[in-house]
Amino acid sequence: MLFGRHHKNPIKIPPKPVEKWAYTTCGYCSTGCSIEVGVDKNGKAVSARGVHNASVNQGKLCLKGIFEFELFDSANRGRAPLMREHFFDAYKEVGWDQALDRTASEIQRIQKAYGRDAFAIVSTGQILTEEFYTLGKLARGVIGTNNYDGNTTLCMASAVSGYKRSFGSDGPPGCYDDFNHTECLLAIGSNLPEQHPIIYWRLKEARDRRKFPLIVVDPRVTVFAQMADMHLPINPGTDVVLLNSLAHVILAEGLHDSAYINAHTTGFDDFAKLVAQYDPVSASKICGIDEDTIRNVARLYAKAKAAMSIWTMGINQSTHGSDGVVGINNLNLITGNIGKPGGTSLSITGQCNAMGTREFSSCSGLPAYRALEKEADREFMAQYWGVEKDFFPTKRGLFQTDIFPAIETGQIKGLWLIATNPMSSMPNTPRIRKTLEKLEFLVVQDAYADVETTKYAHVYFPAAMWGEKEGVFTNTERRVNLVRKVMEPPGEAKPDLWIFTQMAKRWEQGRKMRFPETPAQVFEEMRELSKGRLCDYSGMTHDKLEASRGLQWPCNEAHPNGSPRIYTDGKFQHYDGKAKLIPLPFIDNNERPDEQYPFWLNSGRVVEHWHTRTKTGKIGNLNKFSPTPYMEMNPAAAERLGIRHMEYARVVSRRSDAVVMVQLTERVAPNAVFIPMHFHECVNRLVLGLLDPHSRQPAYKQSAVRIEPIADQETAAIANVAARTF
Amino acid sequence: MNTTQTQAAEYSFLKKLRSQILVSQHGTLLDLDQAYPELVGEPLTVNGKLSSSDNPNRYKQHGFHFNADNCIACHACESACSEKNNLPAHLAFRKVGYIEGGSYPDVLRVNVSMACNHCEDPVCLKACPTRAYTKYAEYGAVLQDPDICFGCGYCTWACPYNAPQLDPVKGQVEKCNMCVDRLEQGLKPACVAACLGNALEFGVIEELPDGREQAKLSIPGFPDPSISRPNIRFQQKRSLPADFRRTDGVPIHYQRDEQGKDVFKPKVRNSGKKPEFGFDKLSSRENPLVLFTLLSQFVVGAFVLLMLLPQLSPAAAALTPVSHPIAWTGTLFGLIALQALGLLSSALHLGKTRYFYRGFNNLRHSWLSREAAALSVFFGLLGAYAMVTTFPVLASWLPEPLAAALPTVASAGAVIFGLFAIYCMTRIYRIKARPFWDHWHTGGAFFATLLILGSLGLGLVFGTASFLAGNRVDDLLHLLSWPLLAGLLLQGVALAVHLRYLQRRGAEADVSRVQMLTTYGKTYIARWISFGVLFIGSVLLNVWMPEGAWLLAAWTGLFILALAHETIGRALFYVLVTPTTMPGAFFWNNKYFEAHARKTGLANMPQVGVVPDAH
Repeated sequence: MLFGRHHKNPIKIPPKPVEKWAYTTCGYCSTGCSIEVGVDKNGKAVSARGVHNASVNQGKLCLKGIFEFELFDSANRGRAPLMREHFFDAYKEVGWDQALDRTASEIQRIQKAYGRDAFAIVSTGQILTEEFYTLGKLARGVIGTNNYDGNTTLCMASAVSGYKRSFGSDGPPGCYDDFNHTECLLAIGSNLPEQHPIIYWRLKEARDRRKFPLIVVDPRVTVFAQMADMHLPINPGTDVVLLNSLAHVILAEGLHDSAYINAHTTGFDDFAKLVAQYDPVSASKICGIDEDTIRNVARLYAKAKAAMSIWTMGINQSTHGSDGVVGINNLNLITGNIGKPGGTSLSITGQCNAMGTREFSSCSGLPAYRALEKEADREFMAQYWGVEKDFFPTKRGLFQTDIFPAIETGQIKGLWLIATNPMSSMPNTPRIRKTLEKLEFLVVQDAYADVETTKYAHVYFPAAMWGEKEGVFTNTERRVNLVRKVMEPPGEAKPDLWIFTQMAKRWEQGRKMRFPETPAQVFEEMRELSKGRLCDYSGMTHDKLEASRGLQWPCNEAHPNGSPRIYTDGKFQHYDGKAKLIPLPFIDNNERPDEQYPFWLNSGRVVEHWHTRTKTGKIGNLNKFSPTPYMEMNPAAAERLGIRHMEYARVVSRRSDAVVMVQLTERVAPNAVFIPMHFHECVNRLVLGLLDPHSRQPAYKQSAVRIEPIADQETAAIANVAARTF
Repeated sequence: MNTTQTQAAEYSFLKKLRSQILVSQHGTLLDLDQAYPELVGEPLTVNGKLSSSDNPNRYKQHGFHFNADNCIACHACESACSEKNNLPAHLAFRKVGYIEGGSYPDVLRVNVSMACNHCEDPVCLKACPTRAYTKYAEYGAVLQDPDICFGCGYCTWACPYNAPQLDPVKGQVEKCNMCVDRLEQGLKPACVAACLGNALEFGVIEELPDGREQAKLSIPGFPDPSISRPNIRFQQKRSLPADFRRTDGVPIHYQRDEQGKDVFKPKVRNSGKKPEFGFDKLSSRENPLVLFTLLSQFVVGAFVLLMLLPQLSPAAAALTPVSHPIAWTGTLFGLIALQALGLLSSALHLGKTRYFYRGFNNLRHSWLSREAAALSVFFGLLGAYAMVTTFPVLASWLPEPLAAALPTVASAGAVIFGLFAIYCMTRIYRIKARPFWDHWHTGGAFFATLLILGSLGLGLVFGTASFLAGNRVDDLLHLLSWPLLAGLLLQGVALAVHLRYLQRRGAEADVSRVQMLTTYGKTYIARWISFGVLFIGSVLLNVWMPEGAWLLAAWTGLFILALAHETIGRALFYVLVTPTTMPGAFFWNNKYFEAHARKTGLANMPQVGVVPDAH
């Protein structure tokens, strides 16, 4: 008998003793998935599941979300504030009062000695919007430094800048539901299946129900490129030329939507004059794809009843990232594809709350998309917060990427880093290392005590993490969703909101102003401030957000259930209510491969890791898929250099070098290599990171390197292991 | 993915209509309640609770439907599985690997997600000596109970898909449980509900899931479905490149066959490596089995020769208790000690040694159970024989004729069971999923060892005894050189034929061959040299038998050389085997990276997902 026995064995399935499920929103990327964390009777998180009736993920989760509950028990969480005199001393555990007092007095000392802006604050896209808002109030209203920015400069700044230039305001106009209506989707520099697997699934579902062309533009043959109907493997950094040329064909063949252009845009003539120079023949020479393909894509896109574009870092992280975004917006404006179902310019955002920082952190302006440059906005906020109007600067200060050079040359003496890790994430990290050494005072606030940047800190604040506090995130499609508290933070770790409010008390001005202590109270202020603004939260409450699994702003009396799209009426945020068509002359200022450095270096995400691996590097079930850095390299190029699969090689740029394990694959061109961005002491040692003139975002994806075989593989292996242990 | 019906999205539910398909593509009945009606009435308990379900297809064979065109390698299926089953990083019931073909930018990566295929003919179930496996009439699920398992790992050898996972930390095997708890609620398995590429589906095996057009039995890289008739079906419509590479370090590529149809044959990729000794790579988890098999073959060989030769030739007169009572008794108890050491070594190889007695639970199907049983009987009879011949008083209470017959019965029994045990041992390794072993060479090698070590060992002991007693030793050793020569001849022919077989069989077998000639190339040559020395030495001794101390010294030399020769040969037997499995990825499910991680110390970080070597 085949069944192995005469009687049925009882079946044992590993138990999941969940007592209660707690609702939260995922704290990794900006897809905005609703997660329920299962907690057992001892209060330990033991399971996770996607929320089945959440519109974003409909019960699905990617691998990071599935294992997010394991973060509560992950290694090297900060449990107590740490302090030391010099960065080369050993840390001592101290009480919160001591750590906060020292930090406040150092900030005050530096500001007194060198000026208010000599102390800088660089925050993140990872904390809750209530916390961003409170930090903004502290930075703008109490501390009063204008050198205050978020690490979103490394990821979304170009999208923000491009949206502002085209539409007069930040704010992605579309939503995921557009996949269900579009007739043509153009994805530029986005690898959805790895970067945003759930958004890819939404797209896949839409395509399974109803076929429509998917066009992927990417120099690398990603899985997304493989799934596309057309893959355009353009030369790195030539996307603006492609976009200009697409517009050229559309205008030349009369496929544009004249009615829309006339009614809702300005600047058409100058725009048309410029794109006239970008005929497909010339463009094909620059882009490295043929002219017929350019014409074909242009016609497909323009003739579709609704066409949309999505993009991520392939566009943003470029010397002309902002122009790339404007180029995409141009394409959609001339074809009338903004604010309609299936027709949009949808930037696929990076961090879970990159949108929240854009809306409320006051990094680049004042809350709810108010601008420092507008006197009325300054006056309004000064009155609302109880700050002297003149205390606000009249224009925004340095971007993150300009703050570090200002430290290097001594204009900035003190720095507060919040949930960000420039030692791994900034381009040219050897330079960042030297820069951080020069600080008179560095305070690092992070959930993890081993985040690489703590190496140069004088004070470390242990922060609570996702799921250990309450508040909201805004996702890619403007959906504000709720994070409930699942777990107490470990040891003395505190929510960032608490840290900011405690810090505020250490200034006389902070004691005069109102700093609500509960997230719900802060949310009330945000609702009030956003009323009537583009990012209108006035129709939301924490409970309503949970019940509806998130609501898309603007959400107000007119739209109590939120708004899937903005600009549906063709009214934009520029003074004249119109969108701008902006001509984009192309200047090729990239570091290009040459004889000495013959390879293009490209970097990007892998699905199992999040940013600098402070979280995912500790979850074995994620980290095991790439526990150490690697480099994708074309087999033909490797053979020429005597480099073999699964051996270490040395990659050298004009900045520095890195040791990586080589993975031979035809996914990359013979003159290009790809290295995941996540690893400490790796690809960002090599990257030049020229800054975009508008967004100040670094170009991570266009550098030149040379590759050398390593004879002594054992030493290379030891070096690699050592670099993974910090 | 601990979801109940009320919290599940629409796509998580199994089809609610009864499937009308009756027979699988393999030609077997899908209605398991008709094939095995006696099991239907029996209640099913899940985690101690009586389970019931109104699923109309509960007694139909279920399986996975994988769409290779759609998989994006996002690992959601693996992760949902690991989360549901509380798996540590180093273990996974489902794994995603890939193969890649074409050239930039016309390149295609085919990702494959694979778990247990709940086969029609579950070779794991048949292999398992403890009967930890059950194939249920419900859903046709093949489930394994880790609490019964004693961690021998034999099922992990037998399975062609690498589905059962041996956890070196817990010392037991665990595997995919088809999420039977979810199926009972009408929900698809966690991996399927988690799939983000719409690649993984599940249902009654031949029932096409919605939107699917194909239910193929195989795709490139998939092991021969005839081995176990797996319950997995594939869709793969995209045109494929002519050649696929693996990324996991296994030097195989898949080449489209000459007819140009989408039939891909695994071929060995020339690694261009130079021959090495590879001594550092000779040690493996199976070291205890090297010791166990060698000792068992030595003991059985020596005992069988000791019993049979005096019956056949007067030259074997030295091999009797009358001639050398001390050597005789010493040999018997020495063999008992060696066999005990062998059995201990084999038991220590188990993940859970304390449950060694479960090894006899599956005599019906498992050659491992049979081997264990036969060897135990041999060991018992050997002991009985040694005791009654050494201490006749022990049998004195028996009636005279019985007491007189006892030694004969015990020795005859031990000879039969000993030889049968070695035969079972050879059958253990005849596994289709391990083509390196699946050849008569395995039997040839084992019986050759039996003859070589048995004759050399006996000659050494009794030759020395004769020498010390002032007797001639050449008669005995001349006699023993015949089985020695026979053993060497058998070994030589087996090795030579095996080498040709490996090349002819190709694929994983050929990988083993290439490794044998490169990674262990110098060792392989050294082995032939030692074989030559042993063979020429034996022939020389056979035709030109010197006398006295020189002869004994030469014999001792041959014995020591043979021990080294056999140990290295057996170590190679274990390290060279390349199983048929699905391709792995660059780090994960890549045994070359695992070895690298262990060697460099990366494995000491638990989050790397590689268990450091216990040895």
